Parts: sequence; C-alpha cells; structure tokens
Amino acid sequence: MAPVEIRGLSKRFGDVEAVRDLSFEVAPGRVTGFLGPNGAGKSTTLRALLGLIRPTSGTATFAGRTYGELEHPASHVGAVLEETSFHPGRTARNHLRVLATAAGHPLERCETVLETVGLTEFADRRVKGYSLGMRQRLAIAAALLGDPEVLILDEPANGLDPPGINAMRTMLRLQAEAGRAVLISSHLLAEVAQSVDDVVVIARGELRAAGTLADVLGGPGSAAPTAEVRTLDPRGLSAALTRHGHGVRHEGDVLVVTATTEQVGVVAAEERIVLTGLAARGRSLETAFLALTGDAR
Amino acid sequence: MTRILRAELLKLRTTRTFVALVGAAAAISLLAVVLATTLGGDYDEDDVRGILTSDFSSLFIVLLAVSGMAGEWRHRTITSTVLAAPDRIRLLAAKMLAYAVAGAVLSLLVSVTMVLVGSIILSASGEPTLGVADLADLLWRNLVVAAFLGAFGVCVGGLVRNQVAAVIGLLVVMFAVEPTLLAFAPEVGRFAPFNGAPSGVLDIPGFGDDDLLSPGVSLLVMAGWIAGLFAATAAVLRGRDLT
Repeated sequence: MAPVEIRGLSKRFGDVEAVRDLSFEVAPGRVTGFLGPNGAGKSTTLRALLGLIRPTSGTATFAGRTYGELEHPASHVGAVLEETSFHPGRTARNHLRVLATAAGHPLERCETVLETVGLTEFADRRVKGYSLGMRQRLAIAAALLGDPEVLILDEPANGLDPPGINAMRTMLRLQAEAGRAVLISSHLLAEVAQSVDDVVVIARGELRAAGTLADVLGGPGSAAPTAEVRTLDPRGLSAALTRHGHGVRHEGDVLVVTATTEQVGVVAAEERIVLTGLAARGRSLETAFLALTGDAR
Repeated sequence: MTRILRAELLKLRTTRTFVALVGAAAAISLLAVVLATTLGGDYDEDDVRGILTSDFSSLFIVLLAVSGMAGEWRHRTITSTVLAAPDRIRLLAAKMLAYAVAGAVLSLLVSVTMVLVGSIILSASGEPTLGVADLADLLWRNLVVAAFLGAFGVCVGGLVRNQVAAVIGLLVVMFAVEPTLLAFAPEVGRFAPFNGAPSGVLDIPGFGDDDLLSPGVSLLVMAGWIAGLFAATAAVLRGRDLT
C-alpha cells in the first residue's frame, strides 16, 4: 500500500468542480512533484488529503487511512501549506512548542527542527518581524516536528531566496533518502525539475500526466531517451553506438544518440573512447508542462 | 484532550493580548472598588457585597475568548491547529475548557485582590466588611460566571469567525440589547447569557427579587446555553472546509 493514495478524488465548491476524478500515488523514498497552473486544484487535493476539506467523492489516504484515522497523524505526516500563517505576536519557538504540545511531540524536537531550518538564532523573535522566507522556513520546521514518514509541501519555495531554495532541495533529498515519501506542489517548474524523482501534472482539476520525471519530460508518446555526446573520436563512437543498436545523427560536432546517457557511457567505456561531454536531451519540463496544461490557461 | 488543553493554555498565556486584557481587567476592577469605597459612605452589607462583586474580569475573559477563537481564522492559524489536533470536536471542547480555566483563574486573582483592597479601605473607614463565609460565597459565584463566559466566548468566536464583528456584536448585545431586555421584558432578559443568568448566580443586589432567576436555576440556564452553543459550534466547525 502506497504511503499516499488518491483514488477517484473529486471536490466541488458550489458550481465549481475544483478536482475531478483524480487518482495517483506517491512512493516511499521518492520526491514527487505535484504540478499544475494556478487554480488547477493542487491545494484542494492536498487539503483533502490532510482532512481539511471534505471530498465530494473518492478517497485521499495515507497507507489506506485518512488523516483523521491515523493514530498519531502529526507524527506520521508533516505538512507545509500555501499561505501558512502564524500568530504574529508569538515567537517561532513558542509557535513550535504549542504545536509540539498539541501533537504530543517532545519539546526537544523544537530545538532540533529550528536548527535544521537555520532559525535557532531568531527563535525568540516575534513572527511578525519575520521575512516571508523565514516564515516559510518556520513552516517547514513545524512540518518536521514529528519526524514524519510523509512530507507534504504546498509551494514551499515561495519567498525563499536562492540559498534557501538550495537548502530546501537538499532537505527534500535527505528526507527521501531516509525512505520518506515527499509530495511537493509547485507551479515553479524549474524549481521542481531539480528536486523531484516523479511528477504528477494536473490542470482544471484533472490528471494530465504522472510518472518519472524522465518520462514526463519526454512527453506523452515520446518516451525514447536522447543523449548529446561530444568526443575526441566521433567516427569511432558513432560506429560503436550504431553496432549497439542506438540511432546516431551528427549535429555539428555533437552526436545526438537515441539512448540514455548511461548507455552511451557504457559503450564509450567498452570501446575506450574519450568523451568530452555527455548530457541528456529532452523536452524541457516547461515545454512538456505547457503541452500538458496548455488548454488550462 | 489533555495535550490539546495544555497547548491551548500555552497559546493563551503567551500572547500580549492576554497580558493586556488581564492587566486591564485588574486595573479597572481595582479602580472601581477603590473609587466606590473611598467616595461613598454609610454602607450596609448589601452595598458592600455589590461593591465587591463589581469584578470586571468576566467582561475581559469573554472578549479574550472571542478574540482567541475568531483569531484562529484571522491569523489563519486554524489550519495548523487542526492538523495538530484533527478531531475538531475535541479541539473545540479543549478550547472551551482552556478559556473556562483562564476565566476562573483570572477572576480568582482579580476578586481576591479586590476583596483585600476593598476590605482594607472599608475597615479603615469604619464601614462594614464581609465575613469569610460571605467572601467565599462571592468568590465561587464570580469564578463560575467567569468560567461560563470564557467557554461561551469560544463558541461565539467559532460561529462568527470574523474577529472584529464578533467582538463588536458581543459588546452590543452585552451593553445594549440585554440591558434593554432586562428593563422592559425582565421575564425574558433574566435568561440572557451576559447580564441575565449570570446576575442570578451572582445574586447581585439592586435587581428586584422577581427579576432574577434563583442561583440554581441560573446555573441550569447557563449550562443550557453552553450545551446549545457547543452543539451549534461543533456542527459548524465539523462541516466547514478549511480552504
């Protein structure tokens, strides 16, 4: 059973159908990007998953149980939601202590997570004096309080400066490497491309694509991987790759090969050919995203 | 439930609003008792009881409770609160209990201070004071009313959600609607939640004997208010999407 399962989820607000028959899963040990333009239904889906709104139909569960059915939900799931807010008059440390007390986490965790997000120095400052980036880091700290198995982050890069975004990427990778399932929503495609293993793309509340980042980057119906290669011996490498069944064409001094970068590297090593450049070529996520969601804009 | 209650009490006592309202309650109550005991004279026991009952903490605890609950929406902290404690009914109960406890504690502190200061001034002026039994009787009544209004305010904040509208609406009911009802239709007004039933519990001198409910009936009426408001707020809170 997957750590996060969305099955036939629909949510209607009056006449507006925010999410329609949405289904996908999030695997453990992987970072899954949840992509879609503004108003696509990402936040609605995440809030339904967290029990904050009631689905019109379908289910959104953690290993088969709704958020409310989990025995210690805040220890199982950590969440950073868009527009996460804090009481402006309370300090960061106090905010975390209130949450830790309510959820039954040891108070020492507050210090640990403050250090993780780099807020220890500012922990006794009132939140109203925090920048947007500091508030976002505090929200991430709150999500990490229970050392959860599942992390859900709704637009977590909002307000973060480049070092903050980099630190968040590192944190997400570490969480996934520790076996946790991470679901991160974003419309900042460049940000997601560097952070995720899998992507789920929605538009107008409907699923448009789901799979590994490489699959979706290639776009629907064009899953064949392509690599760009530079070498000191283009003729020799071209012949070797052709012998191994890969398509090769020349674009100036670059070989464009129908193969993964790994496959090209293996062939080059076997043939003892020096490579001076090797990169995957695909449709940019931006292009794939626009192709998948184009009619939603 | 205990965890949520502890968290709510921590939340309550670590904001400046709480400190400011507690300070204001204590200052106004003390000012009232000092003015009443120093400017007047020839008091009988009913007068003294009236002076020492003028505890303003109830007004402030109900404002604090309304602000605290409606503030969850104003500051959008309701999401993190519900994520930490997803059982919304239990959360509501814990909040009501927290503000009831806060109300009782605040009332105890203010009442004891008022009684001490008032008694010292009255004794020095040669005026009568209340005996220990009367003081204990006065204390429990103030405590019960403060606890009731704390829980009541949480429900009002949960139903109205808009902090400013909730506070203004409460003040209008408290200082305009209910006094009018008590003056022109006391048979209805005595069941009211701020000046009606609580006055019956406090047994405030000055009302006609027929105007107020007996303390026992007043307690039942207050319990009815709490039960009804809890049910209404719980239904709204449970069914509301937190978008």
